[in-house]
Amino acid sequence: MTRRWPAHTTVLVVEDDTATAKIIQVRLEMEGLKVLVATNGMEALEILHHEGVDLVTTDLMMPAMNGFRLVQEVRDLPPPKGHIPILLISTNHSEQDMVRCLAAGADDYMAKPISVQVLVERLWRLFERSHRVG
Amino acid sequence: MSHSLLLPILQWATLILVGLVGGLVLVGVIMQFRKDRRNRHRIACYQAWEGQLTDYLFKRGCEQGGFGTIGWSNRWLFRDFLARYQSSIGGQESELLRELYLSTGIHTSLPQRLQDRNPKVRAQAAKEIAVFRLDEPAEHAPPPIAERPWRWKPGVRMEGYLDQVLPLLNDPVPFVAHTAALTLTHSQNLKFASPVLAWLMREELYQRERLLRVLEGFGPNLLPWMKENLESPNQNPEPWILFALLVGSHRHRESQPRLLWLLDIPNVDLRASVLKALIILADPTVYQKVRSFAASPTWEIRTQVARALGVLGGPSAVPDLLPLMADPVYEVRRNAAQSLVDLGHSGVSALAWLAEDPAADRFARDIARERLEWADERGHL
Repeated sequence: MTRRWPAHTTVLVVEDDTATAKIIQVRLEMEGLKVLVATNGMEALEILHHEGVDLVTTDLMMPAMNGFRLVQEVRDLPPPKGHIPILLISTNHSEQDMVRCLAAGADDYMAKPISVQVLVERLWRLFERSHRVG
Repeated sequence: MSHSLLLPILQWATLILVGLVGGLVLVGVIMQFRKDRRNRHRIACYQAWEGQLTDYLFKRGCEQGGFGTIGWSNRWLFRDFLARYQSSIGGQESELLRELYLSTGIHTSLPQRLQDRNPKVRAQAAKEIAVFRLDEPAEHAPPPIAERPWRWKPGVRMEGYLDQVLPLLNDPVPFVAHTAALTLTHSQNLKFASPVLAWLMREELYQRERLLRVLEGFGPNLLPWMKENLESPNQNPEPWILFALLVGSHRHRESQPRLLWLLDIPNVDLRASVLKALIILADPTVYQKVRSFAASPTWEIRTQVARALGVLGGPSAVPDLLPLMADPVYEVRRNAAQSLVDLGHSGVSALAWLAEDPAADRFARDIARERLEWADERGHL
């Protein structure tokens, strides 16, 4: 299925591992998306305050501010920023972690190692759903 | 000693000292310079390879010269570069990373590295075998490394690597043995089930649930193997505890009859593990069997029963949960109260009634109030 991202759709990639972030960034840019990269939750919040972001994908374990905390902070922001779709990526496969991620307010969850193709597809689904709901 | 002799000795001693200090400083500077140069080289290589890698993964793939050429002297650096993606990138990209790894020929050094004196090298070698699935056949892409030693042969056989990992289960360094076990389970080859299980049983009891993750790597096919190959639970219940926990983690309903059979073995840890698994399977038909353990003299069993009854029985379990609310052990009372909270309206009504009833058991009243407050704070009511 072809994805038609609207022009200037921006994705914030929050990932402390720069190597993985680079792979995700390049793949998303190939989709025609504008990609912003942050290495922890604090940086991500800073970007969210100053830039228009349509989607967020964040790692769970990060220094300074982890993914759980970031999700909670984003959900506390006034709309529309508080309603940005968030996809959490974790190294842990446990059911408990999955439940915690979703309960914290994340819209979707993926466990590492991730397939970048699947990540793109899931981001598209989140984007599509949020725009339908919106 | 005369002054005329002392002065030259002091002068020479000072000179020697200055020379030594100067020499040490020089050695330090040279070492630092070399380290900086290595780091600069590493950063430059990584930056260049990052660009090449994204091109390779998303544009060119593993076609001829897909990645570009890597100098022979940089092969270990390149191995470390690829290792950064081991745990984070999967799917189609990980297949391409595997092709790239194999095309470098680094895997041919694995037999030596598995026996290296440095435990980190041994563990890394074992990990590479799992991550890049060296037990599976592979079609090699043309090697991108510029020069090759005379002994390198393209199309090297990919079999036998896992057998070489096997001795590492007895490695004196725990993390090496753990990595070896992960590698063997990752292969899902049940011929390694017996040695991995033996390794696991040598580990401390308190590590058991953590190490269960290792066994999960074999997948659900391990369960029929365990049924066939484990000795009687009356003689050795320990591996059967792992069996029960694995049934739960794989949600393997086909193993439920065996779980019910294990429930009759008079071993506390085994029964508690079986009950945990039955809670996960959540089959209401086993309710009566589980209920018969509500009067067990062992609190560990009653604790699990208090959770199981709520999950298996639904609202009809309320009359069976109420007696457990007055249990002398706190954990049993807490689980019974939690089960009532989870049941929703009928359970919460029973809790509210207990909390307000002056004739109720004091323990039951206290725990009912505590759980109601807990649920209220979290917005569950």
